[in-house]
Amino acid sequence: MDLTPNDEQIAFQTATTDWCRGNMALEDARARPESLWAELEAMGWTGLTAPGMDLDHASEALVFAELGRFLAPIGLISTAVASRWFPDVAEGKVALALTASQSEPLRVLDPAGSSAVLMGEPGGLRLFDLPDSFTDQGGTLHTTAHAQTIDLSTMQSRHEWTSSLWTEDDPAPALHLQLLGAAYAVGCADAARDMAADYAKLREQFDRPIGWFQALKHICSDMAVRAAAARSQLYYAACALDENAADAAFHVAAAKRLADRAALDNGRANIQVHGGIGMTDEAAAHLPLKRAHLLQFIAPAARETLLA
Amino acid sequence: MDIGFSPDETGFREECRDWLHANVPADKRPLDAADAIGFDKAWQRRLFDAGWAGINWPTDYGGRGLSIVQQVIWLEEYAKAHAPWIGANFVGINHGGPTLILNASEEQKAYHLPRILKGEAIWCQGFSEPGAGSDLAGIKTRGRIEGDELVINGSKIWTSFAHVADWQELVLRTEEGSLRHKGLSWVICDMHAPGITVRPIRKMSGQTEFAEVFYDDVRIPLANVVGGLGNGWKVAMSTLSFERGTGFIADQVKQSQEIEELIAAARANDMIKDDRIADQLAQLRAEVAAVRAMTYRNISEVVRTGQPGPEASVIRLFTSELGQRLERMAVLLMGEDIIDFAYGDDDAVGDYLRGFAATIAGGTAQIQRDIIGERLLGLPKSR
Repeated sequence: MDLTPNDEQIAFQTATTDWCRGNMALEDARARPESLWAELEAMGWTGLTAPGMDLDHASEALVFAELGRFLAPIGLISTAVASRWFPDVAEGKVALALTASQSEPLRVLDPAGSSAVLMGEPGGLRLFDLPDSFTDQGGTLHTTAHAQTIDLSTMQSRHEWTSSLWTEDDPAPALHLQLLGAAYAVGCADAARDMAADYAKLREQFDRPIGWFQALKHICSDMAVRAAAARSQLYYAACALDENAADAAFHVAAAKRLADRAALDNGRANIQVHGGIGMTDEAAAHLPLKRAHLLQFIAPAARETLLA
Repeated sequence: MDIGFSPDETGFREECRDWLHANVPADKRPLDAADAIGFDKAWQRRLFDAGWAGINWPTDYGGRGLSIVQQVIWLEEYAKAHAPWIGANFVGINHGGPTLILNASEEQKAYHLPRILKGEAIWCQGFSEPGAGSDLAGIKTRGRIEGDELVINGSKIWTSFAHVADWQELVLRTEEGSLRHKGLSWVICDMHAPGITVRPIRKMSGQTEFAEVFYDDVRIPLANVVGGLGNGWKVAMSTLSFERGTGFIADQVKQSQEIEELIAAARANDMIKDDRIADQLAQLRAEVAAVRAMTYRNISEVVRTGQPGPEASVIRLFTSELGQRLERMAVLLMGEDIIDFAYGDDDAVGDYLRGFAATIAGGTAQIQRDIIGERLLGLPKSR
């Protein structure tokens, strides 16, 4: 039993954080440059989870939590999952569709430059082919088809159902998607916590930093508690998946539930700690909150799984 | 990272399970301290005879000297077997004894440690005072040096098991005019000494477990000072270093049993069909899982670095508040039956009422939040 990262994992984690800080700052998440994806590909983040890489879920969870801390593109999650479970067909970027029934069109997140769309379902994944005309792949930008989402770094589009490949009768692929979604949410909760704590040390009122006051300090402490609980459960869930534990589905669902709550609650608390400036578009405090709202819909934890 | 246990560890788990299965008393532990004392002493003696007393004490002092992971396993199996709380032996085994091991003279250790391990000597804690609760350094109980004795006057409060205890770990002011953390001493106080009056305090749940203690010219030999005069604060704090993050394992196992019972109860009375209740139960089950994950993570940190990470205070706060959420849910599922509660009932309402202690005793939830904000997040110290 060991729920702390080993030296190799810590090095991987630190390298991820350092790269993100230098190349994908959270403050820039309101408008990511188009060149970012190519940089992520060049650094190897998109192919990290391919079968040949033999990366365990624990290492993935650590790295994706760091990526999530900088509000990395949502497409990284779907691309990572697709490269593991559809290694022969998924090439390049894969967008993420929220789970939908066949009667409604797919809501596709991060479609720009994607060749396919991944959708999680209870018990499996679907991979849809994406027509060239839908993206910029034919050399033409169809940007009109892409609309803004609440999360400024994520665009969306609508897509009709087409024939799809499906990973039937295997719970692991959908759990993989849920685990990486949970990792993103853990990172998002961390980001909001750190932003609030940093501001509470800096901002002065009544001749002292506002973090001196218990009323503000305790808001920050609660953010730390939520983030710590979610992160620990994320590690446990990743290990449960790595060991094919019988209760892995529960532990992954628990991780996603706690991470989603932590991201949302910390996102809200961060605005409150910032006060007036937190209300503005100019400050970055709203970015983790908005990302948290989006993450709630990515492979959400089913109540039945949590109570099973 | 992994959540598995080695074959040796699994073998040890079976050893624990087998012994507990054969030895856990069938009777429930009485809740009132006066009724429980005989039960607690007999159970401690049984643990001692089988070599399970003081699992984290060094073998040199008669303890079991288990590794940290073995402690986790023992405590998990202990709770799973519904073994009784060590009750009146709690202070001696988990607090007074470890403090003596770290700070006392060989004579003091030789006399007291075996008696604690065997359940022969009951200890209580004399820290809090009517005027010194969260602000523990505000201690006013004083000891005047006369010859080779301390003459003690003052009072302590919230002292669990005071009316059944033989000894007390007493922190008092031995330097006149000293302030705050300075001038305090940690003393072994004989609870049978003349001049001590114990006034038991009844809790809102009906049990009498803690008490107020008055000292009226109580004479204690200077030889009973531990760690030197004036070093009381340092001695009291040293005990914390004995705590390796295993303190909440029993709670976690108990909570994991409780949440399963609550889900079963909500299914039985159909209240689970209420979406809000089903959602709260789902959330609670996830949170109970997270306590184990946090504990394992903290224990792993101890194994790797030799000491618990700063997040140990997070586990304490999260576990104590989660326990209360579970107790509230249990009472909610009872519906109007809560109205039938009477003093002393050992049911969900009793647990709920006693459970308020979790965020008060041993450092309030508010003090814990101060610690987390200051030590984990680096916010400015407000006290």
